[in-house]
Amino acid sequence: MKRGRWLVFLFVSPAVILVGVLMYYPMIGTVIDSLYATSFIDPTPKFVGLSIYREILTSTDFGEVVRNSCIWTAGVVLLQNVVGFAFALLLNQRLPGRALMRSLVLLPWVLPGVVAAILWRFMFDPQLGLINSFLIRLHLSGQGIPWLAQTSTALLAAIVAAVWKGFPFSTVVYLAGLQHVDAEQIEAAIIDGAGRLRRLFDVVLPAMRELIALNVILTTILTFNYFDMIWVLTRGGPENATNIFPTRIFELAFGEFRFGEGATYGVFSILVLTLLLALYAAIRRGAERKSAGA
Amino acid sequence: MTGGSRAAGRAGLALLQFGLVLLVLLPVFWMVSVSLKPATEPFAIPARLWPDHPTLANFLHAFRPEFRTYFVNSVVVSLATVAISVSLGLLAAYSFTRTQFRLLSVLMVLVLAAQMFPESAIIIPIYKIMRSADLLNTYASLIIAYVAVTLPVAIWMLRAFLMRLPPTLEEAAEIDGAGPLRTFLDIVLPLSRPGVVATAVFVLIVTWQEFLFALSFISSKSMRTLPVGINDFIGQYGISYGELMATSVLISLPVVAIFMVLQRYFVAGLTVGAVKG
Repeated sequence: MKRGRWLVFLFVSPAVILVGVLMYYPMIGTVIDSLYATSFIDPTPKFVGLSIYREILTSTDFGEVVRNSCIWTAGVVLLQNVVGFAFALLLNQRLPGRALMRSLVLLPWVLPGVVAAILWRFMFDPQLGLINSFLIRLHLSGQGIPWLAQTSTALLAAIVAAVWKGFPFSTVVYLAGLQHVDAEQIEAAIIDGAGRLRRLFDVVLPAMRELIALNVILTTILTFNYFDMIWVLTRGGPENATNIFPTRIFELAFGEFRFGEGATYGVFSILVLTLLLALYAAIRRGAERKSAGA
Repeated sequence: MTGGSRAAGRAGLALLQFGLVLLVLLPVFWMVSVSLKPATEPFAIPARLWPDHPTLANFLHAFRPEFRTYFVNSVVVSLATVAISVSLGLLAAYSFTRTQFRLLSVLMVLVLAAQMFPESAIIIPIYKIMRSADLLNTYASLIIAYVAVTLPVAIWMLRAFLMRLPPTLEEAAEIDGAGPLRTFLDIVLPLSRPGVVATAVFVLIVTWQEFLFALSFISSKSMRTLPVGINDFIGQYGISYGELMATSVLISLPVVAIFMVLQRYFVAGLTVGAVKG
């Protein structure tokens, strides 16, 4: 095999070089950029050490972005996984029309992100939106709620839109996982007289523990860094109410040309990612050790 | 449980299934409905779910010259990305699957790990690379960036697929005196078609909707892709919700159609990796 190694390197080198230059180098580049200040008036980078960190950590913006990111990520991840799992359970039953339902439910996920976001902007529109129209018809609201325009509801509305867009992916993952749950164990539980709920909690959920944990971490990483939805819905507004790390980074870098500040927010995102990846690897190793031992 | 109540339970579940899927699809249905609504038909409160006189007028308006430019740009960038990403991905995945030594395994883990990297957090250095290479406002900037971000997932999907191909055929070819390149082209390539299709669909879905890079690298109107283009239509003078929804339908149609036709491959390809890694 040694003879063929040059060919192997030739085969993998384009991928390795591209990923190295455009994915790995920028991780380091972001840390470097966070040490230099630039502005719209003066675009030449000036080394300022850690002073941007000091400035950001004491700003009210940073606190708001952290708070919004936590609510946004927790809300989307929790709902997306619960809804995704519920749909997987339902679509795993042998019911009429199952194949069609399985493909239709994936539609939100296939829809381009910007299209989904524009659609939800329209859904939430105070005058013309479908949601307010129902609320008015049911006399729950007099003239419609400006969901995306008021600070108290904007983040909640964005979470709803993101869950709608993202849950089908969790459904696909959990549907595949359900196929690997030991059928004999379920049979045994049925013979023992366990109802649906008991079977779910005693057999299905324990069997899928690792898959659920891995999918939760994966969706946490994706949601924390999800830019499109909030940018199109609100651009982080009103009054910062929906500003999360990705939108704040974009606004600083390309709206205000403050690359240093943007990169500093990026460094905090990378730290969060590193923690989550470490957790992911640990769970994965644990799962592999268990299945190797079994 | 008696047969009767069991059947009733089934019917209830089936109804629940239809009801919930309809609820999920309601926004999509509404998007189509509004795209068919004549401009003269006012938005009623409460909203009407289907226009009284559906028309294709909004679609005719949606084909404005800007839209045509953005559409062509999206097609060029997406097709180039799919072709390059899947080709490079297959070469790499094949090498990672069939050959094993320490350095190669390390490279593989590093490449696969990159699929988790957040583009939004590292966008500034990526933008600077494109700027110093003088690639801003070119197709090349988007294609190169899209290939880089889709390659790790492409390799991961293709590898999961190749791992299930029995190596006996390749071994037979080698015994017959075929070199590694011949074996790859004559044996591996035809056998991996379903995996290639699944991966191509995934890369296409990701690329067709990519927004962040397109928003950052492209400032000239003539080079814009559809996602950035339609975002710019929002609130623009003279563009009604009907036209906006018609444009949304037009942007979604290609990927939705391809997905519906090829989804069998796609879901299998996606979940092989997700469950068994």
